[in-house]
Amino acid sequence: MTMANRRKTITTAVMFFAIALLLIELYPIIITLLNGFRRDIVILSGQKFELNQLTLDSYMLVFKNRQMMKAMGNSVIVGLLSTALSVGVGAMAAYGISRFKFRGRNALAYSFLVFRMLPQMSLVVALYMMFKAVGLRDTIFGITLAHSSFNVPYVIWMLIPFFTAVDKSYEEAAMVDGCTRWTLFKLVFLPLVAPGLVVAAVFAFINSWNEFLYALILTGVKARTAPVAISSLIGGDTLTWGQMCAASTVMLTPVFVFTLAMQRFLIRGVAAGGVKG
Amino acid sequence: MKSKISVLLIVLLAVSAMSAFAVGDKDSGTASGAPARTINVLLWDDPYPKALMAMLPEFTAATNITVNIEMLQPPQVLTKTAISVTPTSTDYDVVGIDEGNIPVFASLLLPFDSWYKGTVYPKTDPKSITPKMYSIGTWNGVQVGVPINGNLYVWMTRKDLIENPTYKAQFKAKYGYDLGVPKTFKELLEMGTFFYENDIAAGFGPFNGGPAGVLSEAVFMWESFGTKFIDYTGGTYKVVLDQAKAVEGMEFYKKLMAISPKGAETMAHVERQAAFAADPKGVFSMFIWPAQIAAYEDPAKSLVAGKIAYSAPPAGPRGQAAVTGAWAIAIPKASKNQEAAAEFVYWWSSKAIADKLVQANTIPARTETLTNPAYAASKPWLPALADSMKVAASRPRFKEIGQVQDVVKKYWVMGITGAMPTNEAIRMIVKETNDILQKAGY
Amino acid sequence: MTFSRRPATSQTGRVALRRSGGQGSPVPFLVPALLIVFAVLIFPIVFSFVVSLFDWPLSAGGGQRRFVGAGNYKDLVMDKEFWNSLRLQLGFIFIAIPLELVLGLAAALLLNREFQGGRVVRALILLPVFFLPVVSGMTWRFMLQPRYGALNNFLLSLGAPEITWLGHPTFAYAAIIVQDIWRMWPFVFMLLYAGLAGIPSDVLEAAEIDGATFWKRLFLVILPLMYPTILTALLLRIIDALRIFSEVYVMTEGGPGMSTTLFSLYTHRQAFGYMKVGMASAMAMFLLTISVIFAVTLVRKNMSLEKLEDQGGNR
Repeated sequence: MTMANRRKTITTAVMFFAIALLLIELYPIIITLLNGFRRDIVILSGQKFELNQLTLDSYMLVFKNRQMMKAMGNSVIVGLLSTALSVGVGAMAAYGISRFKFRGRNALAYSFLVFRMLPQMSLVVALYMMFKAVGLRDTIFGITLAHSSFNVPYVIWMLIPFFTAVDKSYEEAAMVDGCTRWTLFKLVFLPLVAPGLVVAAVFAFINSWNEFLYALILTGVKARTAPVAISSLIGGDTLTWGQMCAASTVMLTPVFVFTLAMQRFLIRGVAAGGVKG
Repeated sequence: MKSKISVLLIVLLAVSAMSAFAVGDKDSGTASGAPARTINVLLWDDPYPKALMAMLPEFTAATNITVNIEMLQPPQVLTKTAISVTPTSTDYDVVGIDEGNIPVFASLLLPFDSWYKGTVYPKTDPKSITPKMYSIGTWNGVQVGVPINGNLYVWMTRKDLIENPTYKAQFKAKYGYDLGVPKTFKELLEMGTFFYENDIAAGFGPFNGGPAGVLSEAVFMWESFGTKFIDYTGGTYKVVLDQAKAVEGMEFYKKLMAISPKGAETMAHVERQAAFAADPKGVFSMFIWPAQIAAYEDPAKSLVAGKIAYSAPPAGPRGQAAVTGAWAIAIPKASKNQEAAAEFVYWWSSKAIADKLVQANTIPARTETLTNPAYAASKPWLPALADSMKVAASRPRFKEIGQVQDVVKKYWVMGITGAMPTNEAIRMIVKETNDILQKAGY
Repeated sequence: MTFSRRPATSQTGRVALRRSGGQGSPVPFLVPALLIVFAVLIFPIVFSFVVSLFDWPLSAGGGQRRFVGAGNYKDLVMDKEFWNSLRLQLGFIFIAIPLELVLGLAAALLLNREFQGGRVVRALILLPVFFLPVVSGMTWRFMLQPRYGALNNFLLSLGAPEITWLGHPTFAYAAIIVQDIWRMWPFVFMLLYAGLAGIPSDVLEAAEIDGATFWKRLFLVILPLMYPTILTALLLRIIDALRIFSEVYVMTEGGPGMSTTLFSLYTHRQAFGYMKVGMASAMAMFLLTISVIFAVTLVRKNMSLEKLEDQGGNR
């Protein structure tokens, strides 16, 4: 068998395997997706899926629910803002930590890590009091800042390995051209660590998107985000299963598009970086 | 690559900045004589406040008061109220408080006597509230909230099952009396067993979800077997549970578990609703919080809408009990909009609104509305509710109830599922509750 | 063979680097992050420490705040539920995370090639990570229901006995672990995939042409190169696993009994169920201490920045 042939076989096998993996992995999500189109009574009586069960009722209810739609909008805004803020700030800090030698830099790096480990519930009361004092409670900016509190350390730790992986000779070469540290960071490092930035952005976004407790305590009617709004469709005393599934599906759509778009930057990002010797 | 990323970042920032502005604008108040005011209200999420929300435009039109209602699940309402309502500040002008939490918040709430007189709506007459519900809004003799829903155990029995001629004949032949709505525990168990053994339906639907609900079931059993759990005597709280009777109650519940649907160990409201209202076989008989009736009578969510007979809970060997679980609405002392807040409460508790709420299959706590014979036919749960009121029983109320109900849940579930001998489970409940009370200084 | 990451080194470059102050100052790069972290992380932690020394009811109506010194800590040490919750949490971490790593690594290696629809597959596989934790918990609770739960019925068809999965201490604990693995292994996959993308393809191909077997390649070439990324994934997962809450809460509420009351759930219960913020804060401080010890011993030894540089910059 020739090399090319072997490769082709492997690729095909991988493709089939990937699809099988996807089906298993996505099974619960497929259920959710379908249940968004079925009536509560059908879902709960455990009926087998049939095409004639499909209805748009749950989606109509979700889309007509103004509080829910507003919460989803808020979620998108807070997610993007907090991602932009924490990736920007975090990339700078990760660069500062990994490309400078100074006393206590290890300690600094660990303290970011350690502080991130604390559960939100032990910090939220203090944050609430602080936000209330400075007028940040129930504001988009406030909840964005709160989400950055866990996203910044996260991004820093995600990016450190990417920054340390860049070879010293780049810095040296750039210095010859008279670059300052800042232009070096902007023009050399950021493109080199692009895959890292993308991954960090995706996960910072997820963290913010899924966050519940800060959103619950620190927001009210104005800045409420979707997880809080959706949770009222769940555990309450009565059941709105179809709406819960519909709302979750609606919430999955933008992040899926976001990830898909981000993927372009991921694949072989380094090789494509245009800095080949 | 680099440029792509910066373009992406710019787009992200632009989108976010634009949307931030979009969120900023807020609709202004409606035109009316009174000055425009806004109040913030925190309520629990169920069909009742939702039905109210639909009527808000009417209130705003009459008073020029805009109402922002935030609805959350009950435990979250508790958390947010606890954090945001202090002696000096509050995020909410009106808060809904579950009856069990009144002791915690009483000192932070404006006593009803000092509420403003309404200008548009008259002040709520305490006498209009059903007497059994009235006490849930008071603490240490002071009324701090207006009880707003008539929520206490009501019994549901499947009418189509007990009226089925075949089942009636079979049951009579075997047990010697008529099939019907169970009036005693003995009937409940026998009828339930009949349906369960003949694979017609599950006999019973237990509640094994959250701690507050499990405590309700335990109190229900204990009261029915003739013992109280905790009593306030001599200025202090004491466990007064008669262990022998309590074990009997638990043993009986264990028998009910045996005729319950599969998965009874983890049944919370959602699973009970699925079992009773969505499962083709269904459940013969079980309790319901009337706040949820709207869902059970909604044909879109329920296979048994219109097929449910409502009654007071069956009587135990030594007593009959309908556990209460109602909400009061209250105004924090720190609210800066007490006048508008009071106006809102008066409107909500008025006769006109109560009548509309009844139409939405919810249960306001106004006596005249609940007992109005005009509603009895179309809302069969209302007469049942009135019957339940006669045997209303409350769970113990004091600040440490959160810890106590956790203890009860843990050992109660172990006892009724056979993970622990019932007498041992009861012994542990008494012991650990005593520890908590002692530590709290009672 | 030259690495694309390494341009020709020049003598003048080194000189320039030295002349520009050798290092320059890292301060401007660190200040924004430090500001944010101080405002919204350090301050609450200090506050939390102060609170841990008080008997501090969540609601001002719940009684007076009272200084109790180490009283909360003493209570904790005596509380067997506290130790139980810690044990459950650690068990959760030690079982779930290694499995997530293995799954994530395997998938990253496998999918690290171009094939039709590869991009879509890689994006789709991430969906569980985006799935709201509360909804995920609810969906799993639903799937495990006897009678109508899909997963339950599947297990039955495999010959499993009829069990109320979430009503049984061991199975409920297993279920929350499986739920977490299901939801989070794609996260590890994504991170490792990005790390793998950072390894120049000629390295991987070179090893292949050399005829090295797969396992040799994995242990001698790929794993060492990916060492920093794997450690990062491990760390980030541990951090998140310490904070896991809503999915478990909706699945089991910590039950049956206390069998799924992880440390984080117990903290939540102390703060919001019993309204004892002092106790919850003491638990947080306890966790902070563990984290510091963990960081100072394990992480420092395996993941010092110098070591990372050796792994990365000098390849």
